[in-house]
Amino acid sequence: MSDALHNPVFRIYFAVLMGLLVFAGALLAILRLALHKNVDHAWKAYRGWLIMIPPVFAALLIGRLATIVFFTAVAIGAFIEFARATGLYRDWWMTSIVILGITAVGVVSAIDDPDPAKHVHGWYGMLMALPVYVVAAIMMIPILRDRAKGQLQPIALSVVGFVYIGWMFGHLSFLANAKNAYGYLLYLLFAVPLNDIAAFTFGRAFGKTKMRPNISPNKTWAGSIGALAVSMLLPWLVRFSFPGFGTTELILTGVIVGIGGQLGDLTISVMKRDIGIKDMGAVIEGHGGVLDRVDSLIYVAPLFFHMARYFAGLS
Amino acid sequence: MDEWHYDPTPDFDQTPIERLRGFPRHPNLFVYAARTLANLIVRLILRLGNRLEIEGREHLPAGESFVMVANHASHLDAPALLAALPLAQVHRAFPAAAADYFFTHLPVLAFSAIVMNAMPFDRKENPKQSIDACRQLLDARGHVLILFPEGTRTTDGSIGAFKPGIGFLAAGTDVPIVPCHIDGAFRAWPKGAWVPRPRKLKLRIGAPVRFRDMRRVKEDAVQIAETLRNRVIALQ
Repeated sequence: MSDALHNPVFRIYFAVLMGLLVFAGALLAILRLALHKNVDHAWKAYRGWLIMIPPVFAALLIGRLATIVFFTAVAIGAFIEFARATGLYRDWWMTSIVILGITAVGVVSAIDDPDPAKHVHGWYGMLMALPVYVVAAIMMIPILRDRAKGQLQPIALSVVGFVYIGWMFGHLSFLANAKNAYGYLLYLLFAVPLNDIAAFTFGRAFGKTKMRPNISPNKTWAGSIGALAVSMLLPWLVRFSFPGFGTTELILTGVIVGIGGQLGDLTISVMKRDIGIKDMGAVIEGHGGVLDRVDSLIYVAPLFFHMARYFAGLS
Repeated sequence: MDEWHYDPTPDFDQTPIERLRGFPRHPNLFVYAARTLANLIVRLILRLGNRLEIEGREHLPAGESFVMVANHASHLDAPALLAALPLAQVHRAFPAAAADYFFTHLPVLAFSAIVMNAMPFDRKENPKQSIDACRQLLDARGHVLILFPEGTRTTDGSIGAFKPGIGFLAAGTDVPIVPCHIDGAFRAWPKGAWVPRPRKLKLRIGAPVRFRDMRRVKEDAVQIAETLRNRVIALQ
């Protein structure tokens, strides 16, 4: 992963995203200034995108290590929001162990495989083994402080925090080691939010039957099917993103993003509804917290990673 | 199976800037780590660059909340007073800082909240409310409030009149008020200078005073302020 400016995949995604941002900005300006429509909510979300997109492109532009550091920082930020929202944050030992575990995901993604025969960036074997060590460390904390009462909840929250938010999302960092890193990463970063937007748009236009009223009352079957259709189509439109993919892999990519993205969204909704909160945080204007923004990616990233690794290989 | 009880941190839905601006602040792992490290560095700079000398540490009350009051001629005053406390106590020590100066622009706000653990004091619009907030802070055990009763840094290094706010805060309570005198801060970093100079600093800590028999009225508040000013001057 280097020399982004000379990478055709990077350049195409950059141009498309800039074009979309300019188009969306112009559309909102026309709606607001010429047609006097109330677009405050959309405007806030748009400004949020303007804040989020530059650091992502900056990290990708700088290269592999910057990308790994960026995604690791995002994973830590997302976990801290989860810890704050659940109250786990009050337990600094548990919180610290999970943060260290997430940092370790970044480190094993950044270093080379110690097996000299492999000559590859990223220690895949340790990435797969890390949950064992981190869960073992989490289990050790109550024993070290000789406390049993009320310990199962922080243990469970820490394991979910590390495995789901830290490790599963951390697969995105490891993708920076792939030969086709720009294609995989930019596709995921582009397709997953597009899947969310498609679900919202189709739901608003055609949605009648609620999909999961006890989890996320605004989601409808029409929105879900519309999003799946868009996500199934997209890999064929941006086929240049996956040089090693055949028909099976492109279909699987569509299914993983189309269904996995929605499941990721609903998973965080389950957590929020159980806790009784609307958003996980307030760090991104118009989007809520980091976790609210990356919820779908958490689910999609590892599924896509292992599919791509199995069928096409990373290096 | 019973439902789990979740207890989100009270500031979970605030932006980072709102969290820094708000008071009381809720414990934050990263802020605590950054504050500990920054205070270590500040102490090192004060010790090596300004040859900070501290006398009278034995007067600092142990196991109860107290107020440190001192003369104010420099931005070095609060760091010097914080340096007199054990490092672990900096998270429970709150220099009262002018909200209109220290809590408006982001870099200064971040430094005030993260490094200094400053408490925003509204000296213009609603000082009474700020004094009430100080009182609440002192109700909890083990808190240290750092106050500069002159209200601002002096421009000539002399000790100005103490405002009666400290009197209203101390009157009728058993909270120990510890008079302190900082010498050399005006020479090291006077008002208007951009960077501190390596001049010697000396902090003298006096015996604590309590004003439990005084009433929370103007005359007594003025008298308390004057008594404390005299105690600070006596440490010169």
